[in-house]
Amino acid sequence: MSVYGAAAEETMRARRFLKDWAGEGFLNEAQYQRLEQETVSGLRTTNIFLRIVLFFFTLVIVGSAAGLFFAPFLLRPSQQATALLFVVFAAVCYAGAEGVVSQARLYRFGIEEAFAVSSVGFLCAGIGVALLSNGNSPKPEATGFLISAAGAILSLWIWHRFGLPYAFLGAMIFVIFLPAYWTSSHSAQHVIVAAFYAVGLAAVAAARSSHRFDYLDDAYSLVEALLWLGVYLAINLQLSSLDLLPRLWSGTAASAEFSRPFFWITWVLTWCLPPIALTRGVRRKDRFVIAVGAVIAVLTLVTNKPYLGWPRHTWDPMLLGIVLSAVALFIRRWLARGPGGVRHGFTAERNSGRFKQWMDAGATVIGLAAPQAIAPTPQPASPDHGFGGGDSGGGGASSDY
Amino acid sequence: MTILARLEQWKEQGALSAEQHAQLSGLACGEPFSLFVELNVLLYAGVLAFVGGLGWTVSTWSRQIGDVLVLAVLTAILGACFWYCFSRAAAWCPAATSSPSLVFDYVLYLGSLTWSVEIAYIENRFHLLSGQWDLYLLATTGLFFFLAYRFDNRFVLSLALSSLAGWFGLTISRWPRHEDATYRQYAVLYSLVVGLGGTLLRQRGWKPHFFNTYLNVVANVLFWALLSGVFQHEGYGIWFLALLLACGLSLAWGLTQRQFAFVAYAAVYGYIGVSSLLLRHVTDSNGVFAYFEITGVAMLLMLVLIARRFGRQA
Repeated sequence: MSVYGAAAEETMRARRFLKDWAGEGFLNEAQYQRLEQETVSGLRTTNIFLRIVLFFFTLVIVGSAAGLFFAPFLLRPSQQATALLFVVFAAVCYAGAEGVVSQARLYRFGIEEAFAVSSVGFLCAGIGVALLSNGNSPKPEATGFLISAAGAILSLWIWHRFGLPYAFLGAMIFVIFLPAYWTSSHSAQHVIVAAFYAVGLAAVAAARSSHRFDYLDDAYSLVEALLWLGVYLAINLQLSSLDLLPRLWSGTAASAEFSRPFFWITWVLTWCLPPIALTRGVRRKDRFVIAVGAVIAVLTLVTNKPYLGWPRHTWDPMLLGIVLSAVALFIRRWLARGPGGVRHGFTAERNSGRFKQWMDAGATVIGLAAPQAIAPTPQPASPDHGFGGGDSGGGGASSDY
Repeated sequence: MTILARLEQWKEQGALSAEQHAQLSGLACGEPFSLFVELNVLLYAGVLAFVGGLGWTVSTWSRQIGDVLVLAVLTAILGACFWYCFSRAAAWCPAATSSPSLVFDYVLYLGSLTWSVEIAYIENRFHLLSGQWDLYLLATTGLFFFLAYRFDNRFVLSLALSSLAGWFGLTISRWPRHEDATYRQYAVLYSLVVGLGGTLLRQRGWKPHFFNTYLNVVANVLFWALLSGVFQHEGYGIWFLALLLACGLSLAWGLTQRQFAFVAYAAVYGYIGVSSLLLRHVTDSNGVFAYFEITGVAMLLMLVLIARRFGRQA
């Protein structure tokens, strides 16, 4: 029940294909102009930069409007009235999101997205304040449970209604806080979260089967990838802990708080999930699922030593780098030897203009981020000092040896 | 109507040839499915992990391994990478050129990062330039710019711009919490030098497609520097005027060139700068909320107008 309707979504998808194919030279300019005229949906969209800025300023407006309304209540605190106002604001924001879509026909425009996101925030705040008011609040876990449940349900609805993938991600994050209400066992909490995601995964996989080449396949693709990642993160005990970084660095295992059978079952699962996700991604030719499969495979390699309690070696990243590069080279060579550079429907060649844009954007972002790696650090004065510091340029290559 | 149905319809209408229809239908169904991006990301991550481990190993075990062996290994990697690149690359051309192979860019990137490791090791162990790291950074910057332009490589261009920023004593991502006039001046100077250099190279027709990378780096560094000046409690007037000027230029460039990142920079950085100045002495919360409400609506209207003017109905 998308707010835009299937026809409009398909039209928008067709326009994206046309733009991509024209950029790659598969359509000439005259063809592109003609076919673009035949794919008019009446929706108004904008580019990613204006979308982000419009999202930002809409949040500023919503936040300041809430502040103006709440200021008198904050002077004479009345939690029930504050809670009611939060809920009213949630309803107004949601109505605003629906309104700008139905009236102004905005599509991924930033404004309707900010309204929708704000409605989730206000609803959670309203429930939280309502439960904490009058001194008759239930235990903190129950408050957290209700806030998380409401947040998850509304986020799911927004994803369903507006097709915003990050709303689904928000729902997944809310789900993380649900099990604390049912059990204090960390093992059980991991299992419950993983079970939620697994059920979602099964539901999405079932729903996708009837949408092989339509717009919903694209939407479900990202959601399925997020769920695969969620299941993996929930079962990998080395990643879903608060002291993640020190543990990974020292190579110590997170076994103390879990029973041994549970610990080793999760270790086995961390090795089982990547090939399953990768196989599914490859069979469906699903870019997001393949990407997540590759990411969790790397995460399994990275977290294996901490799992087993083995010490880290300084050359471990080198071995990982060699493995990643070797895999990439092997796949490229294997694909290139196929007829026309294609094997089993896969190619290593670029066939979309989007890929070049992604690569160019990635290189520019690296250009902005890389200076962190070359931060000038005070150099040791003593010649006895080890190989320390290093600010001779080069992302990732020179700091804090 | 799905894209496949549309393609069928367009073929029947004669808008597409049969060959185009077959090709585009295949692409819409992921046939063939390109792993181009995935392989590039794997190679990039592989190079980064390898060099990270190399630096870690060298720094940890250099005494046990010995300087000769460390330098021999680093030099061998460096030599092999640069030999590969110089022997495989086509003759230099000022226009955009594609890489001879998928791995070429990453071999060059590996060589560049290994150079950084080796230079850092040499100076730390032998103090050839008596700890004058600026000279190493300058030499590294020169080398990276040369390699970026010789092999048309944006990754190495990014490294060159980063190294130049390091030479200026600037690290964008570690911008100091407490404003430092020296850092600010260096940042502005860096922006001017990079912007001017990029413009000159573009005018000469040398890799004009790099210009956008220059501009994005320049815009962000410059806006951060100007904003830090505006945030000062004294002497902020000149920085505020400079910020307004920069916002105007960024907006004009973004609109005329249809590069909306620069419109976004102008809107966000400008709004933050103006707001910080106007709200500096406002303590009334209602006044602050009213300010954000009114100015937020004004900014939103302006941006919607821009989006309507330059966007298209889809």
